[in-house]
Amino acid sequence: MKSCVLIKQVPDGDSPVVIADDQVSLKSAGISWTTNETDSYALEEALLLKEAHGGEVVVCTIGKDSALQVVKDALAKGADRGIFITDPQFDHLDSYGKAAIFAQVLKAENFDLIFSGLQSDNSSNAQTGLILAEFLGTAHATMVIGTEWVDDSKIKVNRELEAGWFRWTELDFPASLTIQSGINKPRYASLRGIMLMKKKPITTITSGDLKMDEIPTLSRIKKLYIPRKTKETVFISGSPEEIVTQLTDKLENEIKVL
Amino acid sequence: MHEFKYAYPAYFYLVALAALLYFFYNLRKLWAASAGKPDPAVKINIGEFFINGLTFGIFQRRVFSRRFAYPALMHFLLAWGFFILFFATTVDFFVARGWFADFLPQLDTPWFASLNDTAGLMLIAGLLLALYRRMFSKPEKLPHDLFSGRGNFLGDSGIILFLLLLALGGFFAEAARLAVYQPPAVEYSWIGYPLSALFPVSSWRQFELILWWFHALSALLFIALLPLTKMFHILAALVNVALTNRQLRGRLRPMFVSRLMEDPEADLENISLGVSRSREFRRKQLLDAIACTECARCTTVCPANTTGKPLSPMKIMTDIREHLYAGQFGNGEQKDLVGATITETELWSCTTCGACMAECPVLNEHVPAIVDMRRYLVLSEGKPPEQASESLEKTLSTGNPWGLPKSNRLKWATDAGLDIPVFSEKKKADVLYWVGCAGAYDPLNQQVAVSMIRIFEAAGVDYAVLGTEESCTGDSARRLGEEYLFETMALQNIDTLNRYEFEVIVTPCPHCFNTLKNEYPAFDGNYRVMHHSEFISELISAGKLSPDKTLSGRVTYHDACYLGRHNQIYSAPRNVLGKLLKTEGGFTELPRHHADSFCCGAGGGNMWHDIEAGSRMNVNRIEEVMHSGADTVATACSFCLIMLDDALKIKGQEDTLKVLYIAQVVADSLPASRK
Repeated sequence: MKSCVLIKQVPDGDSPVVIADDQVSLKSAGISWTTNETDSYALEEALLLKEAHGGEVVVCTIGKDSALQVVKDALAKGADRGIFITDPQFDHLDSYGKAAIFAQVLKAENFDLIFSGLQSDNSSNAQTGLILAEFLGTAHATMVIGTEWVDDSKIKVNRELEAGWFRWTELDFPASLTIQSGINKPRYASLRGIMLMKKKPITTITSGDLKMDEIPTLSRIKKLYIPRKTKETVFISGSPEEIVTQLTDKLENEIKVL
Repeated sequence: MHEFKYAYPAYFYLVALAALLYFFYNLRKLWAASAGKPDPAVKINIGEFFINGLTFGIFQRRVFSRRFAYPALMHFLLAWGFFILFFATTVDFFVARGWFADFLPQLDTPWFASLNDTAGLMLIAGLLLALYRRMFSKPEKLPHDLFSGRGNFLGDSGIILFLLLLALGGFFAEAARLAVYQPPAVEYSWIGYPLSALFPVSSWRQFELILWWFHALSALLFIALLPLTKMFHILAALVNVALTNRQLRGRLRPMFVSRLMEDPEADLENISLGVSRSREFRRKQLLDAIACTECARCTTVCPANTTGKPLSPMKIMTDIREHLYAGQFGNGEQKDLVGATITETELWSCTTCGACMAECPVLNEHVPAIVDMRRYLVLSEGKPPEQASESLEKTLSTGNPWGLPKSNRLKWATDAGLDIPVFSEKKKADVLYWVGCAGAYDPLNQQVAVSMIRIFEAAGVDYAVLGTEESCTGDSARRLGEEYLFETMALQNIDTLNRYEFEVIVTPCPHCFNTLKNEYPAFDGNYRVMHHSEFISELISAGKLSPDKTLSGRVTYHDACYLGRHNQIYSAPRNVLGKLLKTEGGFTELPRHHADSFCCGAGGGNMWHDIEAGSRMNVNRIEEVMHSGADTVATACSFCLIMLDDALKIKGQEDTLKVLYIAQVVADSLPASRK
């Protein structure tokens, strides 16, 4: 089985959020970078399947120079090789644009399974793995919270539905799975792994290597801002009928949600 | 006088030779230690070799422990009775052959006769005390298998019974000799002579030869079997204590990971990181295991064991030994030690508090052995305790185990309205105040950090901090076996420290203190480091600090493991408290204090994960504080402060008892006019 894990470098959850002067990105000073949480689970799931059933695990990311670290971390944990896609042109792409690039790079590899985290901790779109599946014409499953090996051509996955419901589904290879956190326990990189990592190949790909005239994007960030916290509490009193009248009036005319 | 002996010299010498040959053959158990790795840091110092051998081997200084009075008396009687009789037998062997006859006493020389009978009685008394412990009082942790157990021939009690037979037989052989030959001054054999009077001379004459042979053969059998029994410790412990480097004892040895990583010749596929098999230990560590006498003092004082966690330092030692012997003398096919006989939970239960090492009569080093096996789990297997792995990853990414932003490292000061000097601007100061991650990020310890500033300001100390340039010293990482992370932190901090000029590093945290003082020198980070209690004690003595308020109520002090046992700092914090206690209440010691102190539970990286089994160490300790009648328990360790405060809340004692840091106590007693 040949699988690929898409990983993303994101700011650590405790990092200070300071908006840069361009108003569309964050100031990098003071940010400590880390691997996106659900991507760690995705990697672990791929490694567990490889350890049980053989094959190869390739990790792939799109990011700035610093993002090479998440590829190295994944190699240290046991992935076999890395693909590092980096170019200043790719810095502010949306999920659609990234999926298009991944599709271009990964098409020729013919992966059986593509794992990615359910969503990124910084932009939370939860789209990349799905759009990529559409580009590659493969099956896909989201919110995967369990997997069960069937044979060399298919896999069973447990998807988390809403309200505590789950559903097992069988997918034929190739397939793209987006992994929910808690599916497994991501491993700690051993020193042995870090030492072995140094010998593992990492392919770097820039815009020049891609046969793409233009990177398609469907959305762009106009402006980033810290949400203003406002709190207005209004007490409505009176008989139940009066309260309901006043409340519907406020919801309809002031807050405009009805 | 001994002419009967020469009637059978050939048989006697043949048996003696066989016994000695078997004895020497089994000394290979000692030699098994050579299967380990050489220790390049240890050079044998002849002076130290003899001093240690005499102090801890012959005179057994560590056997005499306040907490183990009964076994200490038992061992004193046994050992000295045995030594004297061994000496007497040697003298008799020489005298009987006319060697050095002019210089040596004879068995019937009055003082020698009294001494030898006394020694025999001591030996028997010691053996009876030992038997009583093994067969009747049975202390919970002491092994008391009758005739087997942990690879010891004749077990825990069998060898004692055998020695008793040997000692009693000696008295009977002596009584027979005295009765038959009636030497001059016979009454000085004050036990043998009355014994000889119990039976008529004719009976003694009849059995004299049998009794002599019985004693001679049992003595030779004892010599032959000695290396196979627990009594092997007579030799193994002597060699082990003599070879101990007391400066390095208990210190974790550096692995120099960065050198290893740059080594182009390193065989990455087969490299051994940490220890999972006995022969991966250093030779001296294997000798430790061989020397273990199974007295169980380590396990008795172990806070993890006491609170019901699955760790017995003694079992760690005997497991290493059994694994070693199986490899050296067994069928060779061996499983790993770690994960098989020694479980991961056993290893993670250790708080590295060092209580085991402080009590061990044969100077074993349990903690470095445990950390070596943790290194295997983390560095080779990538398996730190689940809860701790996040702290380790955060330490690498943010420079502190709490994982809080590096940029907030001085927030405690700005929040307190303090504008404190930083080295990046000041470049030079007398004192480098090492705040530590706890001081920077933990709310309780932030109060300690503020107290430190008040003290520096009040005493007019020229100080500065590293601010955002300071990182975790790597103490917890190192004790969790994450030597790579520790080294990364150490090299980074040393690089920072070397850029500035200062006289001394002062830190309130014993973990930072221990790491900076004892562990950075291996990486060329050589600094004068003082714990804040030492520094404040000096400030008060020099008249630079004049506290004008006294402490109210009764005060006690909780010794932190890394200040006390690991660094022998006991008096400085007590001096500081003493100077603040003028009249009221006074100071009271906890039952377990100084080297007998009981760990709060957070050492060894256990701050960052919990062992489910058993009860909580901090609660055990706070209960002791509650019973002491103190109103305030002072401590001098960041982790102890957090753990004891937690325990107070668990026990609902926040209103009756206070936990305070030495720095806080001092700052609170300063004149209020100063900020």
